[in-house]
Amino acid sequence: MPDVRTWLLWALTVLVTASRVRNPLYSILTLLIAAVVELVCAPHRGAGLPSSFRFGVTVVVLGALFNGLTAHLGDTVLFSLPAQLPLSGGPVTLEALVYGATNGLVLAAIFSSFSTFNRVTPVRDLVRLTPRAFHEAGVVISIALTFIPQMMYHLDEIRDAQAVRGHRMRGLRDWLPVILPLLTGGLERAIGLAEAMVARGYGALSNRRHSLRTQMFLLVGLMGVLVGWLAFLLLPQWRLAAVSGMIASGGLIAGLLWQTGRSIPHTSYRMHRWTLCDSLIVLGCCVTLVSMFAPLPFVNRKALYYSPYPRLSPPPFDAVAGVGLFGLLVPAIVVKRGAADDRD
Amino acid sequence: MIEIEDLTYTYPGAHRPALTGLNLRISEGEFVLVAGPSGAGKSTLLRCLNGLVPHFTGGRISGLITVAGHDPVAEGPQVLSRIVGFVFQDPRSQFVLDRVEDEIAFGLENAAIPSAEMRVRVEEVLHLLDLAALRGRTLTTLSGGEQQRVAIAAALVFRPRILVLDEPTSQLDPQSAEDVLQALVRLNQDLGLTIILAEHRLERVLPYADRLVYIPGPTESQRNVLTGPPQQVLQQVELTPPVVALGKALGWTPLPLTIKEGRAFAARLPLPPGTPRAAPSRRSGSRLHIRDLHFAYDGREVLHGIDLQIAPGELVVLMGRNGSGKTTLLKCVVGLLRPKHGEIVLDGHPITGRHPAEICRHVGYLPQEPDAMLFADSVLEELRVTLRNHGLQDTPPFPPAALLARLGLEEVADSYPRDLSVGQRQRVALGAVTVTRPGLLLLDEPTRGLDYQLKRQLIALLREWQAEGVSVLLVTHDVELAALAADRVVILSDGCVIADDAPQVLAASPLFAPQVARLFPGTGWLTVDDALTGLGVRQN
Repeated sequence: MPDVRTWLLWALTVLVTASRVRNPLYSILTLLIAAVVELVCAPHRGAGLPSSFRFGVTVVVLGALFNGLTAHLGDTVLFSLPAQLPLSGGPVTLEALVYGATNGLVLAAIFSSFSTFNRVTPVRDLVRLTPRAFHEAGVVISIALTFIPQMMYHLDEIRDAQAVRGHRMRGLRDWLPVILPLLTGGLERAIGLAEAMVARGYGALSNRRHSLRTQMFLLVGLMGVLVGWLAFLLLPQWRLAAVSGMIASGGLIAGLLWQTGRSIPHTSYRMHRWTLCDSLIVLGCCVTLVSMFAPLPFVNRKALYYSPYPRLSPPPFDAVAGVGLFGLLVPAIVVKRGAADDRD
Repeated sequence: MIEIEDLTYTYPGAHRPALTGLNLRISEGEFVLVAGPSGAGKSTLLRCLNGLVPHFTGGRISGLITVAGHDPVAEGPQVLSRIVGFVFQDPRSQFVLDRVEDEIAFGLENAAIPSAEMRVRVEEVLHLLDLAALRGRTLTTLSGGEQQRVAIAAALVFRPRILVLDEPTSQLDPQSAEDVLQALVRLNQDLGLTIILAEHRLERVLPYADRLVYIPGPTESQRNVLTGPPQQVLQQVELTPPVVALGKALGWTPLPLTIKEGRAFAARLPLPPGTPRAAPSRRSGSRLHIRDLHFAYDGREVLHGIDLQIAPGELVVLMGRNGSGKTTLLKCVVGLLRPKHGEIVLDGHPITGRHPAEICRHVGYLPQEPDAMLFADSVLEELRVTLRNHGLQDTPPFPPAALLARLGLEEVADSYPRDLSVGQRQRVALGAVTVTRPGLLLLDEPTRGLDYQLKRQLIALLREWQAEGVSVLLVTHDVELAALAADRVVILSDGCVIADDAPQVLAASPLFAPQVARLFPGTGWLTVDDALTGLGVRQN
């Protein structure tokens, strides 16, 4: 399985590509690639489509409808709504629908980067990404991440339990019988988890307070950054000194965090080694970024941006940039199917 | 290994102590079963052993506890975690991470155990608990038994000398429970680990226990904690597993704890000819009729053409292994799931595709987790909420106060439901779904976590409702409950009905046969009463 940092780079590349491109062809390609990577690399979970794919369809439809009903631009009028209707009154054009759907595709592609990263990365590896000084915050985040699916499960359970008592969801007030047991049950489970963690010795070594000197230096560092930032904004003639001050203060804070992290006793079970698989995925990401955004003479970068206005025309497509996008597919080729889950 | 002297503990705000003057001594390497009715203080005692009580709970404690030379009250649970491994009832509630291996290593990472040693310890427990093949799996994909074994592994990774388990099999089906218990027996016999386990279903654990500690409930005449060899303690306890109850009734000595021990006595008894229990006569009419029901999750069919009919006043027990489709079937009946194909008819009216709220005006459905229902300020208000939902607040088919009296909840009518015991919460939820006086009751695992006394109370209540014409479809893993309560038994396997017959069908099933049926094969007897009547000891 690739290192969490490799996955992070892959997700960031998808994110940058998806958010910088405004061409439905590239967005669809990005979405499909992310879905294939999720299907191949993430743990199995039934026969359904990846969540990013289903979310994508919803966002595209909603985006098209919203823009189509509110933006009355474009030449190809499909039909008109009465002008007295607030916001949506006026002509509904094909161009506005396509523009809305294109924005929906961008959103869906951005979401797919988060979704796939979340699905392929074990929670434990996410904790590893947090600096050691914030280890406890990292544990809290990991608990929150495992709590969310549990909470969704309990939400369904409670909705069912209330429905069989004759409860119907008609308005906001009707959420009360669902929210109250969800909150109470969540609190009970949180207390139960805290009890279980204490029984497993959690917190036995980290109950130490930071020294007054460390706290004072941290305060000085934060003040330094704040003063430097204000000086940068208000005193143009002192900008160089302000930037130097901010860098020095930032260095002090980073040093303190590093030192604090070293004083927290903690070891790691998983020792990740950089493998060929990681290198290939990084290489694939580089290929995508270079082909899409580097000023290469043989790539028509204008093809990355498309506007259906004023009259709908086919979106442009640059083959080199399109092929470069397939660099994001490398994980699906080099990672074993369902490698995140050894059940096969 | 463990010495407790005159231990008294009171929870914050409680009027009476949860434990009073308890004395106990446990030797190294013992397998100790802690039993007693709900609310007797079993969990409290277990939590005293690692200092969770009083460090986590607060409250007043007096007396002396020594665990492997340590004082849990003075040193606290974090220090004791190296000596006492603790496993809770619901494995899912104690997981911090999402993968098997990571979850097991979590405690070691926080204890700053060096990586090399950590790997050795994790490997060790993975193999001890047969989890090596599951090491990379996400926890949510594991079965209940596998999850519980991961929780045990996470506790054992500190190499504790004592393993304490609070009802670890209460959420599991019989096969998964057996897997967990076999793992514990291996740990006890091979490694000499001291095991202290609290459990309601004594029949599951008695065969393995060296010693039984019985903590009486507040209402029992017997007030002292009983401790000793299981045979000796069970002689003084009223509610026991069927094989023990039969042994006591027939004066078998030493008291048998297992089927194997009981068979030695049963084989000596002359069985009168023609003694099978008469199968209950099939009732006429149809309250619920399910025809050719198919249901699929994400395109995967889990119910394949179910046909089932329930008559008015009939109690049908639905059994089957985890994942066989029992809960799915109930959810289809009440409209929470929409079948792919088939028809459901209630009292002659098709109800397929209707909203659950509409169906549940006539069908009471008690889900597995009754806590999901409870949110009102008082028990009485819970019942009124259901009436308001159905627009019946002015003409309640069952006056709430009268129903509470019937459920034995009149004294707690003004209490906050979530402050009540497991059994009481179960009955509040039952009240909340029956206050509309439904003609059909669907109960999904209603006896999970209930002691013998509470189970009997539930059966008595169901019998009363049956007499009034209410039909009951009861899903359970508890074969003894099925033997006691069923008019008819339906067994599901992989989404298909493989048996639909009189309860005697259980006697022939290697998976679902109750203890009495295993003791007297071929007789058709299922319960202690059947056997005593058949043997002529008791008049029918």
